[in-house]
Amino acid sequence: MMDYLHTDWAAMSLSDWIGLIVTVGIFLLMIWAYVYTFHPKNREKLESQRHLPLDDDETIETENRK
Amino acid sequence: MSAQVEKYSFDVVRWFTVMAVVYLVVGTLVGVYIASELAWPVLNMDMAELTFGRLRPLHTNAVIFAFGGCALMATGFYTVQRTCGVRLWSDKLAWFVFWGWNLVIVAAVITLPLGLTSGKEYAELQWPLDIAIALVWVAFTLNFVMTVAVRKTSHIYVSNWFYMGMMVMITYLHVVNSLAIPVGLWHSYSIFSGVQDAMIQWWYGHNAVGYYLTAGFLGIMYYFVPKQANRPVFSYRLSVIHFWALMFGYVWLGAHHLQYTALPDWTGSLGAAVSLAMIIPSWGGAINGMMTLSGAWDKLRNDYILRFLIMSLAFYAMSTFEGPVMSSKTVNALSHYTDWTVGHVHSGALGWVVMVAAGALYHMIEKLWDTKMYSASLVNTHFWLATIGAVVYITAMWVSGIMQGLMWRDYDEFGTLTYTFAESVAAMHPYYAMRAIGGMIYWLGGAVMLYNVVMTIRQASAQRSTAAAAA
Repeated sequence: MMDYLHTDWAAMSLSDWIGLIVTVGIFLLMIWAYVYTFHPKNREKLESQRHLPLDDDETIETENRK
Repeated sequence: MSAQVEKYSFDVVRWFTVMAVVYLVVGTLVGVYIASELAWPVLNMDMAELTFGRLRPLHTNAVIFAFGGCALMATGFYTVQRTCGVRLWSDKLAWFVFWGWNLVIVAAVITLPLGLTSGKEYAELQWPLDIAIALVWVAFTLNFVMTVAVRKTSHIYVSNWFYMGMMVMITYLHVVNSLAIPVGLWHSYSIFSGVQDAMIQWWYGHNAVGYYLTAGFLGIMYYFVPKQANRPVFSYRLSVIHFWALMFGYVWLGAHHLQYTALPDWTGSLGAAVSLAMIIPSWGGAINGMMTLSGAWDKLRNDYILRFLIMSLAFYAMSTFEGPVMSSKTVNALSHYTDWTVGHVHSGALGWVVMVAAGALYHMIEKLWDTKMYSASLVNTHFWLATIGAVVYITAMWVSGIMQGLMWRDYDEFGTLTYTFAESVAAMHPYYAMRAIGGMIYWLGGAVMLYNVVMTIRQASAQRSTAAAAA
């Protein structure tokens, strides 16, 4: 198993390093996105936005009456 | 016309809407013709401009960029105004996008049958048209983003995120994949060569599916499903995760188109692994859309427009399961280069893309012309023709694809191929005929839609004239 996971770090090119950093960065960002989105304290803040498309007609009518 | 129509820039949306329906009929008609050519080669008529090789890119460009583009631009310009509570940032830029996009389509209709192509799948147009596409697309993006920037709402609704994600990624994909050295007005060579060219091409090719035909049409889904069902989306948090997982994940998948080629083996494995992982956000999104109807499933009984939207999600779920399975090396060894791939693409295109767009277009037409559809039963007729046509098409391609794969790799006891390639072609004939019939049924549905839309617009203008006369 260790042989399989062995990496020759000295042989890494600039492209390899850029690819590695982008990959790990995106992985960490995805973890952050999951934690933020599903944390109970953010539930109401996010779910309150789900009515937005249903409210748009009301908004228009309200603004037209003004 | 009601006050709300004047409040927004809807004229350009109306034109995009009508053109989307026209291109749906034209694009699928070309598809039916080339499918028929494969079943009955006499239809090539010994004319180069009518051969499958010339008309196939015309079909794909017409349905993806003409129909799909007009549907995305119509719905994008419509929803961004509705969800942001403001007019489009620039009417002039919106009209530039309309005329620019349609001129590119006209140019494609002329150049592709003449054989003037770059030879890159889904990116066949030559360099002058590639530059024109980039300019129009950036104008579309700028107008959309600036409309979001000047919004009256505090929050940017999730459908807008999907549209903007598509715009950013398609700009990047189109520009990089189209990089070429011109050697004449209608002739150029890609700056990439060999396996790098193949990798760039399929990085573009699969992401055209991922960001244009998926992310963009998910933007449509997240606005129009709640709107037509008159219920909020099932879970907003799930939609946020759906967006970010799709944006971060899709871009890795292209290499699965190049399994067992000169591309390094690990690249294809990575593409397959991320493809399988993408089932999670894709199904999360499909379930999110369907569960929006939770507690109100009875609406499907009478609301034919909603049927289109929900059926599209069923096809979306099916395609996003089938694709990752096909990307795995074991299945890919059988499925690649066969009609199974064609069937998979069309389950996504006919079942997901066109169905969700048709639902959205029907919804918008009623709002934009301030009327009801001319005939609800014709909407229902379209729904069933589209569903049956898509199923017939997909089933034919599944059978022919798996049969092709099995015939091509069958060896006898001496280690020689059991079947010649020509024998496999001959064995496909009944399925190619079945595919052409399925496509014809699907096209008929589109023609019914066009008739219904024209009659609805005529009905709306007659109603306005009557109202004006009465006033």
